[in-house]
Amino acid sequence: MPDKPDHQKAAEIVRDAGGTIVGRTRLQKVACLLQLAGFEDGFRFGYHHYGPYSEELTDAIRVAEAFDLVSAEDRRASWGGVYTVFTSTPASQADDRTRFAQAAAQIDSIELELAATAAYLAVVEKAPNPWEETARRKPDKVADGRLERAKTAYRQLHAMKTRKKLPKIA
Amino acid sequence: MLKCQRIRDPLHNLIEFDPTDQFEQVLWQVIGSRSFQRLRRIRQLGFSELVYPGATHTRFAHSIGVFHTARRLMTLIRQHVKLHGGQVKEHQLQVALAAALVHDIGHGMFSHAFEDIGKALNLKMAHHEEVSDAIIRSSEIREAFTELGPSFVDEVADVIKRGRPGNLYDAVVSSQFDADRLDYMRRDRLMTGVQNSGIDFDWLLANLEIGEVKIGVDDQPLRPIETFVLGPKAFHAAETYILALFQLYPTVYHHKTTRAAEKVFSALMLRLIRLIRNKHVKKTGLPKAHPFIRFAQDSDNLQHALALDDAVFWGALPLMAEADDQVIRSCACRLRDRKLPKCIDIYDRLVAEPGTETGTAYLVEAKKRLERLTAAIRIRLTEWSDTNSGKQTGSPEETDVAPRILVDFASRTPYKPFRQTTGPLNQILIRGADNVPRDMAHCSPVVAAIEEFKLFRAYVDNTDQEAKQAVDAIIAEELGRERHARQTGPSESG
Repeated sequence: MPDKPDHQKAAEIVRDAGGTIVGRTRLQKVACLLQLAGFEDGFRFGYHHYGPYSEELTDAIRVAEAFDLVSAEDRRASWGGVYTVFTSTPASQADDRTRFAQAAAQIDSIELELAATAAYLAVVEKAPNPWEETARRKPDKVADGRLERAKTAYRQLHAMKTRKKLPKIA
Repeated sequence: MLKCQRIRDPLHNLIEFDPTDQFEQVLWQVIGSRSFQRLRRIRQLGFSELVYPGATHTRFAHSIGVFHTARRLMTLIRQHVKLHGGQVKEHQLQVALAAALVHDIGHGMFSHAFEDIGKALNLKMAHHEEVSDAIIRSSEIREAFTELGPSFVDEVADVIKRGRPGNLYDAVVSSQFDADRLDYMRRDRLMTGVQNSGIDFDWLLANLEIGEVKIGVDDQPLRPIETFVLGPKAFHAAETYILALFQLYPTVYHHKTTRAAEKVFSALMLRLIRLIRNKHVKKTGLPKAHPFIRFAQDSDNLQHALALDDAVFWGALPLMAEADDQVIRSCACRLRDRKLPKCIDIYDRLVAEPGTETGTAYLVEAKKRLERLTAAIRIRLTEWSDTNSGKQTGSPEETDVAPRILVDFASRTPYKPFRQTTGPLNQILIRGADNVPRDMAHCSPVVAAIEEFKLFRAYVDNTDQEAKQAVDAIIAEELGRERHARQTGPSESG
């Protein structure tokens, strides 16, 4: 059976995360963690400005929007920028994947970025100390206790039932 | 008396390195390293020379131009910091300047075309960021930079790897006004000879200021950061700067013939690497010790990656043009003789299809329709080509035919409005009369109206009528399907 098209996979990430993902950065990091946890495959992630990023996912979510599988609404952030809220009909049944996706999507977007970056660095770049490496690459984001909160959030994700064990880094 | 080292550059004229300045002498040492000298053999614009014969400039010249431009930008930062009673952070400044010089050191042959092969085959050493990082941290460049402190080299590598400014000095390496863009836009225009895309460089620099801007991730704010802001008198120069990039994409970077050559190059290299990995070296026409063979057999090895450059590729062409393998032979001959497949511009055909919507909904629905059609046609063209060409498994026992339809899809936004995916450090900010920096997309209707540049093309051999007809038929069928869906109700999902 042929693989699902990417745009369908992208839409299912929003669906399984409870039907709403706030922000493009959050969407990328939820998808990356789903992939590291064995719940998703097929999107190639590389290291970009905001940590792990998949251009294929960016393309796929745009196509999903064109097929009316998700809707994307731009909103003005308090800091002056614009962020996007993705919505779709939520998954009707709960399973390990939806529970994981929903937990990830609830994490503060900067802390989620830090957590996904550390996990990505551990798995893909084989960083011996991924949190330290994350802090070195994102000095402006780890301030104000965010790194510790990101570790706490990651520990909670790590404790969840997944198809593939997330790296034990926190 | 110590002699000044000078480089005569076609864009900047004299670029000098101060013999009494330890930092600049270290950079001069870096320029003399083997890894940096390799950039002389990598053209900045890859196959663009097949379209613009003057575009033979190299990443070597560009890298030195970036350093020179970065040094000028640093002068502005120095003035700003002193004017505001601050202290220039010399160490951070030098780290950013060094990063500007070596930022491209990991580029492989034909740069982005080779990166696409890397993505397809998951080759770590085909990603220039990975190679840059490895070269900077491990080669004689590390040795040279160590003179500036034990952690200097790692800080330089971090600035490049981070890809976004950690402080004001880093904005010289990575921002909308970074030295890289300020050099390549002007150099590529000069060397290709295109007459559009000019920018008012000196006026932009004369009006460049430093301002504090708010930043965030999605809906979450971060601490404000200092970055480049333009004074109000540079408004029109800023518009031109953004439009110039918009013009360079269709005219130079995504020119249909350049992209055709890149597609043929990709088909050749994919076949070559797969054959070598499947132990069919003899079929490639290359000797066992050739750099391509070594790279394909051990592609995580940095030294093997460094042995590849444009000159190695062009030098291998006569051998590959006589390869036993038909795919390698035909692709090599095409590139050698510039007999490239012909372009069918699918995007133009899709845009020409009139919609039925009216009013403000028109643009939104038209964009969605284009996305749907593009997705459906891409899948079908790839399927047709996979079914009707030789399978790309690397086995010479398989049907030995190059892909009959080469599908090319790319998009590029020359300027994105202020949103979290880019952040204000990637915006062109202009100071208003109230001294508040604003995004150009919010001040200029011209900039606000810039759409993403998209290309969607199929390349087919001029003599392959069946493939041409297949492309035409698939486009017509999908357009018909979309038309029918519009008449009968909402689009089908997926």
